[in-house]
Amino acid sequence: MTALVPLSAAASPDPTPATAAMSALLEVRNLTINYASPRGTLRAASDVSFAIRPGEVMGLVGESGSGKSTVAMAILDLLGEAGRIDGGEILFEGTDLRRLSAGQRRSLRGDRIAAVFQDPFTSLNPALTVGRQIAEPLVQHKGFTPRQAAPRVEELLAEVGIREPRRIAQSYPHQLSGGMQQRVLIATALGCDPKLLILDEPTTALDVTVEARIIELLAGLCESHHLSALFVSHNLGIVNRICNSVCVLYGSEVVETGRTRDVLARPVHPYTKGLVAALPRITTDRRHRLSSIPGTVSKLSGPPDSCVFAPRCPFAEETCRRLPQALRGDAAGNSVRCWKAEALSGTPWPEESTASRPPATPPARTAPLVQVDALRKVFGERRSILPWLRRDGTVAVDDVSFTIQRGEVLGVVGESGSGKSTIGRSLLALIEPTAGTVLFDGADFVKQAKEGDRDLRRRAQLVFQNSAASLNPRKTVGAAMERPLVLAGRQGEAERREMIAALLTRVGLPAAYADRYPHELSGGERQRVNIARALATDPEFVVCDEAVSALDVSVQANILNLLADLRDELGLSYLFITHDIAVVSHIADRVLVVYGGTICEEGPIGRVLRPPYHPYTEALLSAVPRLSGAEDGPEPERILLEDSTAPPGGGGCAFRGRCPRKLGTICDERAPPVQTATDGHRIACHIPLAELAERASVFPELAALH
Amino acid sequence: MLLYTLTRLAYLAMVLVVMSILVFLVTQAMPGDVASMIAGQFASKEVIDAITVKLGLDQPLIVQYGRWAAGILQGDLGRSLVLEQPVAPILMEALSRSLVLAVVALAVVTVIGIGAGVLAAVRRGRMADQMVSGVSYLGIAVPDFFWAIVLVLIFGSYLKWLPTGGYAPLADGFVPWASHLVLPVVTLVLMLIARIARLTRSSMIDVLQTNYVKYARAKGLPEKVVIVRHALRNALLPTITVLAIDFGLILGGVVVIETVFSFPGMGRLLLFAIQRHDLPLIQATILIISTAYCLANLAADLLYAFVNPKIRHGMGNA
Amino acid sequence: MTAASPTRAASSRSAPKRWPTSLVLGIALLAPLLVVAVAGPWLAPYPYDEMNIMSRLQPPGPDFWFGTDEYGRDVFSRTLVGTTNSLVMGVAATAISLLVGVPLGLVAGYGRGRTDEIIMRCMDVLMSFPPILLGILVLAVTPPALWKAVVAIGIVYVPQVVRLTRAITLELMQEEFITAARLRGESTAYILFHEILPNIWPPLAVESSLRVVFAILLGAALSFIGMGAQPPSSDWGLMISEARPFVEQAPWIALCPGLAMGITVIGINLLGDGLRAVLDPRNTGGH
Repeated sequence: MTALVPLSAAASPDPTPATAAMSALLEVRNLTINYASPRGTLRAASDVSFAIRPGEVMGLVGESGSGKSTVAMAILDLLGEAGRIDGGEILFEGTDLRRLSAGQRRSLRGDRIAAVFQDPFTSLNPALTVGRQIAEPLVQHKGFTPRQAAPRVEELLAEVGIREPRRIAQSYPHQLSGGMQQRVLIATALGCDPKLLILDEPTTALDVTVEARIIELLAGLCESHHLSALFVSHNLGIVNRICNSVCVLYGSEVVETGRTRDVLARPVHPYTKGLVAALPRITTDRRHRLSSIPGTVSKLSGPPDSCVFAPRCPFAEETCRRLPQALRGDAAGNSVRCWKAEALSGTPWPEESTASRPPATPPARTAPLVQVDALRKVFGERRSILPWLRRDGTVAVDDVSFTIQRGEVLGVVGESGSGKSTIGRSLLALIEPTAGTVLFDGADFVKQAKEGDRDLRRRAQLVFQNSAASLNPRKTVGAAMERPLVLAGRQGEAERREMIAALLTRVGLPAAYADRYPHELSGGERQRVNIARALATDPEFVVCDEAVSALDVSVQANILNLLADLRDELGLSYLFITHDIAVVSHIADRVLVVYGGTICEEGPIGRVLRPPYHPYTEALLSAVPRLSGAEDGPEPERILLEDSTAPPGGGGCAFRGRCPRKLGTICDERAPPVQTATDGHRIACHIPLAELAERASVFPELAALH
Repeated sequence: MLLYTLTRLAYLAMVLVVMSILVFLVTQAMPGDVASMIAGQFASKEVIDAITVKLGLDQPLIVQYGRWAAGILQGDLGRSLVLEQPVAPILMEALSRSLVLAVVALAVVTVIGIGAGVLAAVRRGRMADQMVSGVSYLGIAVPDFFWAIVLVLIFGSYLKWLPTGGYAPLADGFVPWASHLVLPVVTLVLMLIARIARLTRSSMIDVLQTNYVKYARAKGLPEKVVIVRHALRNALLPTITVLAIDFGLILGGVVVIETVFSFPGMGRLLLFAIQRHDLPLIQATILIISTAYCLANLAADLLYAFVNPKIRHGMGNA
Repeated sequence: MTAASPTRAASSRSAPKRWPTSLVLGIALLAPLLVVAVAGPWLAPYPYDEMNIMSRLQPPGPDFWFGTDEYGRDVFSRTLVGTTNSLVMGVAATAISLLVGVPLGLVAGYGRGRTDEIIMRCMDVLMSFPPILLGILVLAVTPPALWKAVVAIGIVYVPQVVRLTRAITLELMQEEFITAARLRGESTAYILFHEILPNIWPPLAVESSLRVVFAILLGAALSFIGMGAQPPSSDWGLMISEARPFVEQAPWIALCPGLAMGITVIGINLLGDGLRAVLDPRNTGGH
């Protein structure tokens, strides 16, 4: 390891001038971190350098395995036993943290350097009140007694936008919503007036509308407290929203760093170009395919002996594979780790060709393939001999009706608790509806499936979100794919093997993968296997339940393109369930926007993305973080929703509790009427259509409809 | 919390009813005829029949059970056939002695077991951890009655520090009373300390890897506070349940240990009753020991709920 | 705490790895025991029940390696022959618990609802007796015998097996590959035996090793209080019980079976720990 330090030190931009070091609040220099694992030493960060000035928010971006969280934890001295810093310096206000004693580092933590972690629910101790947990740093670092800390705790809670601070301080974490929990963590971090915030994916576990509020809050706090922050994220849209500068990590190295506006608008490093190109943007073009980055990140050990990105880089040459790359800076303070950077400056990431594809045919208006009528599902109803254990249950889906044509992709967009997954699973008879019917090609699906109709089962399939959990860990890919074939009556073993090989090839995997176990594949590869398995029975209809949500951006683009190709070639119909409106705009013909188990808005994707909007759709669209640079004009004002207070249910509109345009008691008492606009665009709202149409478009870049 | 307690109590009542039926049926199936035992070896058939009718033994089982259960609810546990006196007072005396043994043992297990487990988890992979592991292997390795014999040999026969058996009432003074408890308690706890230490160690290690412990460290709290306030509280949840199970093991162990140390408690009473086919005594002893165990489980459930705010503040009642 | 995660357990397959020390040690201790269990009567220097009044209560020496008991029987030979008893008792009782408990647990976890409720309430009743008491209750009905003790121990540990199996099944039922199987229209039997069972056995194997230990110890305790193996058989628990009156004059009578039991129990425990490490590398020990 020691050999690495002089090598990379020599390769890095000139030893930072003293003045720069003085002005930076946090400076990381040539940081190298390795992890001991049973399979040898793994490289988690090599030669990572960046600096954060007072008041600056820096984004540390990368996909899973890039080492971004490791760097954040190293700054907090929380690497754990397996991780080891093998070189470099972490300068905080000019002092190298590595030279301090463990006790000195601890006294900085929570006081001068505070943190907010990804998953607020697991970051809060379930056994202690949140008030007590917020008070802890105050007691520890500022010498408050717990009693003295109480008013300060309430003040902090109020500052992060919690309305009843006294009551909330006395609650336990499980009594709060995800957004509230994250506010509590932020309040904890602010307690001792820190200089630096380490934000490790602080909104990743949250819904889009909640995320938008938290980002707004964080941006405001950094501004008002003159805070610096290291914002670790995989989401370029959010980084674009909140960060002044950005540092892109790939395969444990910094590949590009600079001002956010420069890096995201005009990426220089091939990886950054690919990442930006692969990001799904709002579109309404059915033929459009996303750019994608081929291949996957490989596990790294030992010092780099070539460009880490070379195996996936379309511009790579022989030189790239022979020599490790050095970070080179330019006059504006941006740097990039690619010797071809200047030569490539004008070259965009190669686009997926759309020319060879047959033009997509709009779905024919014949008899619908799937017809759902007045679907209702109540969960958790409980009967018991003990009267106090009886429960009414919660309504997950309430009076939902829609149809899907042959060859049509229907998107279902909603946040957690909207009932979108329940809708998908009811369609496949995995959940028995409490009321309502599901007709598949004219037959009652639920009834037929119960009677063991395998042919109907064969024709409708599901692709899951969690690619790992949906494959039995003890079966090879081949064995997993063979079962549907056996059930479909394919008796010959040779025939089945051939079909499996053909299916694997169809989804872009080598046929030899049939002998592998699921854990030997990457997330993207497993998702391809899932798709291949769904295709094995030659279905007509596939429910994709958050099928690309768990994947990294570059892989997500791959899978999304594959699904779109299959739709065009095999004439499949999809019910595409997702929380991500940008993803759905790439694949869906029509969309349902669901909230609290009811449909608020439905229509062709092009109509739903333009006014008139349902107030919830408008808020949802406006919350989507995007990559729109300064050249796109000023950003439209965001619509921020309150945290949900009233649980949905009862009479009236499901969205009334959070609706920014609520009319009055009519919304509480009467279910909203469904108003029909053009092209089957329907909105369930008490506000008249004309009034809804007056709002400005959230996406001015979408041209007006023909 | 109130609803939760009510639910648990309702379950307890159901379990106790079914358990008493089971005990009643099994003891009915045991060899030995009550009437002929009371009448004595040389009684004529008429005498035996008369006793049978007098005791209601000719009536259907359900009636007999009803009478027995009704008696228990009124505090009448029946009459011992061999000792020829009411069961209740004998039982209560034996129970009080055995409970002292069991409760002291449980306290020792709790304190030492949890302490050793926490120590091993915090010093994971180091000397202290390996020592705890090594010693706990020894504790688990051999049955308690073997330890009993070894301890009696060393401290009783060889060193003569402690009495090798018997019991002295507290009225005779604290020292004789306590000295008679030492060896039985040590014997009872050896294996259970090992179990609790291993369990606490593993749940503590799990909790130390959680996000909230990591976040507590990110707040700059000293390691001691992190361990005691954040980790231990949550790590003890599974331990509480197992401690209740251990109380059952102690109650069972008491049966064996009391024979070794000639300790006049429930265990000796039960074995005596079984050897003499004293049905009322067998029924009563088993019922009382099992009820004590059920109550311990109830206490553990309630304690668990109390420590765990998710149950205390209503999130699922079952 | 026994519910190991089945999905994670699988990740042990790919990387070639060394056997954990505990597994090697456990096998090293148990292998000779297995040989003795099979070949005990032939290996023993004397027949286990050969009485010799002339040489009663002899201390260990060249003729009798671990001395003799009150009837002049060779303690070492009796201990060797007793190995079979203990191991068979442990394994057979565990087999009974598994045979009864695993199907019940699968059905409870898979069926949920009323079936689950009924099965689990029955288990609650069984678990409301302290283990040894339940054994005594079962054994007291008829004259004691070894095979009855085995059945009794088997019944005593059924609830634990049911609980574990049910817990893992419930966890697995949430897994999407089960949903995928239901989606294909697989039969209940196929899902139970081809999808769930293969994922249950690793944690169950670890649990079983613990169960064997408990069964051996409980069997010894039952024999010790006279409700298991009967004289003149050479059960370890019985031997220790018989040695008790003479323990001051002849402690070796108890020592030899005690040591043998210690080796057995430690061996199986090490094996269990080793299995756990192999089947779930992520596990930090002693779930």
